[in-house]
Amino acid sequence: MFANFTRNGVTRRKFLGSAATLAGAGALSSAFPRVPLAADKVVKIGFLAPLTGPVAAWGKPGLDGCRIWAEWVNAAGGISIGGEAHMVEFVAYDNEYDPAKARTGATKLIREDGVKFIMMLGGDTWPGVQPVADNTGMLFSTLLPSDLSPDTKTLIAPCEVHPVYNVTGVEWLAQNKPDLKTAVMCAQDDALGLPSVATYLAAFEAAGIEMLDEPLLFDPATTDFAPVVTRLLSKNPQIVCLDTCYSDYVHPIAEQLFQQGYKGQIISCTADFYDQMIAKTSKEFMEGFIFQFPDFDDPALNADFINFKDANKFYQVYNERHPGEWGAVSWEYASIMDLWKAAAESADSAEPDAVLTAMTAGGKGKHAFGDADWWGSDLFGIDHALVGNWPVVVIENGKATIKGFKSIPEWYAKHGELLKKHMTAYNQMWNQR
Amino acid sequence: MRKSIIWLVCVAALAALPHLLSFSQQEILVVLVINILLVVSYRLMTLTGEWSLGHVVIMGVGAYTSALLTKNLGMYVPVSMILGSLMAAFVAFLLSFPLFRMKGFYFLIGSFASAEIIRLLWKRFRDPFGGPKGLKLIDGLPDINIGPIHIDFFEPTHYYYFAVIVVAACLWILWRIERSLLGLTFHAVHWQDKLAQASGVDVRRFRTLAFVLASGFAGVSGALLTHYIGTINPNTFDVELMVFVLTWAIVGGTATFYGPILGCVALTVLNEIVLREMGFEQARPLIYGVVMIASILFLPNGLESLVKRGVAAWQGRTGGAGAKEKTP
Repeated sequence: MFANFTRNGVTRRKFLGSAATLAGAGALSSAFPRVPLAADKVVKIGFLAPLTGPVAAWGKPGLDGCRIWAEWVNAAGGISIGGEAHMVEFVAYDNEYDPAKARTGATKLIREDGVKFIMMLGGDTWPGVQPVADNTGMLFSTLLPSDLSPDTKTLIAPCEVHPVYNVTGVEWLAQNKPDLKTAVMCAQDDALGLPSVATYLAAFEAAGIEMLDEPLLFDPATTDFAPVVTRLLSKNPQIVCLDTCYSDYVHPIAEQLFQQGYKGQIISCTADFYDQMIAKTSKEFMEGFIFQFPDFDDPALNADFINFKDANKFYQVYNERHPGEWGAVSWEYASIMDLWKAAAESADSAEPDAVLTAMTAGGKGKHAFGDADWWGSDLFGIDHALVGNWPVVVIENGKATIKGFKSIPEWYAKHGELLKKHMTAYNQMWNQR
Repeated sequence: MRKSIIWLVCVAALAALPHLLSFSQQEILVVLVINILLVVSYRLMTLTGEWSLGHVVIMGVGAYTSALLTKNLGMYVPVSMILGSLMAAFVAFLLSFPLFRMKGFYFLIGSFASAEIIRLLWKRFRDPFGGPKGLKLIDGLPDINIGPIHIDFFEPTHYYYFAVIVVAACLWILWRIERSLLGLTFHAVHWQDKLAQASGVDVRRFRTLAFVLASGFAGVSGALLTHYIGTINPNTFDVELMVFVLTWAIVGGTATFYGPILGCVALTVLNEIVLREMGFEQARPLIYGVVMIASILFLPNGLESLVKRGVAAWQGRTGGAGAKEKTP
């Protein structure tokens, strides 16, 4: 076919001409801002996260989940605002985890696309967007509450209270495997890794588990994890903690642990694509691996207190459309949209300030894993993190299984000072950042 | 007279440009203008025949210096920008001692290694560099209020005009350098280094000079970026951006002053505007790569060769005498 294509006379000139025409047409069309079709009664939601690049695993699966959520909501009649049904449309912008591109994306979503709410991953990209939020009053959400500060009143963390929920995994471990008393930890030295290190240190201390060494912080550019694992295992620990490592690190570290003959307990914040980890190691090696993000086909998610609707069906549809791509964030952005929808319908408005007021009214909210409190003054300087129960997930017979739900506020009531101590030591308190 | 008209048209076009674009395209335009200075300053270094992999880290030195001076000392932003540029040039001067003991491929690797050391220092020392999270809430240019005129540099259009003035001034200086005896010496150091040396030219000194000058201008671009975005971290200046700079230079061509500018503009418009608007949000890296490979296959001398051919064709149609006279 390609031979025919060239035989029929596609010259270099024609090729370049066609390419230039294509590029020119695109540039020309992009010179005219698109007009929002207000008559369609559409409410637009911005999705500003990495869709390409090394952090895309925490952006793209979330967008895929949101699209399923929007289909379901629209099929059920949309969102009722002012007595009228509004369809939901997601407008995505790939920020490539770059603050400058995140700023450009926020500007586009707000000033050109007319979105009413923007969901972000947060982290390194938030400081680029913060001035835009402050100038426009747009309501933003982040998956990383460490972005929260009293400086910005329109940023909320309504789903993932990273890294505080990691305490639940350690608490469960201490209760169910009380003979395990020593641990080591490694993490990438960045905005995700450090607050998580402080959290795990607090959780281990609260659980009476001794750290055999200082947490091993590796550079995010690390690709060879053999020396990292060798150093971890040299202390002969009973528990290896992988902190909040990106899946690009969790996989090779697990592989190295397997190759270097480790047979102890592993605990991690995430285990995205754990089936691939099992394939690289063995089912026996991965048995008992503790992490924090369930598969949504888990029967435990059908409990009455769970606020995420049809979790099992959501998982099934997601996997039919995106086989093998289910990850930690696949459901998270969609669960934020549940909260936003309820707040918009309650406020009878999609305007950011009205939705925020309705969402935080009474200091309570319906988190995906049960009713929760708007909380965070101690750690984040503002009560804009929705905190309640969080599941503890264990790999059993090659499948992620929820072993129970633990209350973060209850842990914090008992051990909050420990968390503050370690957060302060790692300069992760809101007034240190 | 004709030259003046062309210049006037260019100035008018630059002044009108942001008003023809959407808000997000204005944001992209600001970064594009800054990147033009970055890639043109990079070309100055390549005039001596050395290709560095540390140019964006040197840009970062300017950015960090300017940011720290404003954050910690409350320095007036334009002054901190100048000092940022000087610091970038000074760091390049220090690096030149070990680096210019090497040439060619060894220089390339040496520049990468030294740049990584600087980047790791930013990560290692949370005080004052902010560690992996970098610096945020960096002051922007102060607003200007003159009677009814209010200039808020948070607005991309306003910052664009400021950046265009600064970048145009820098480009003019870079242009003058290249057209001067100094520029000719840089060329000689590249193409005839033994002959130049035999003629009494201190080759190493001129390579150092090109490196320091290029780094100073890269520092300006870093300072311009940091006070616009308001945040920087070590990843802002990682090897990925360096690959983009190399790509702009290679796709545009480095034989002429305007070659890297063409590459930077064409690839940025393609990647940030055309592909996004065409709905290829997630396929952009793939398409961008294909376009790059195609351009290298079909345009080995860069986009600048298209301009040369176009000008030659136009001059051929209008008589051609001028073209022949100008050909060396």
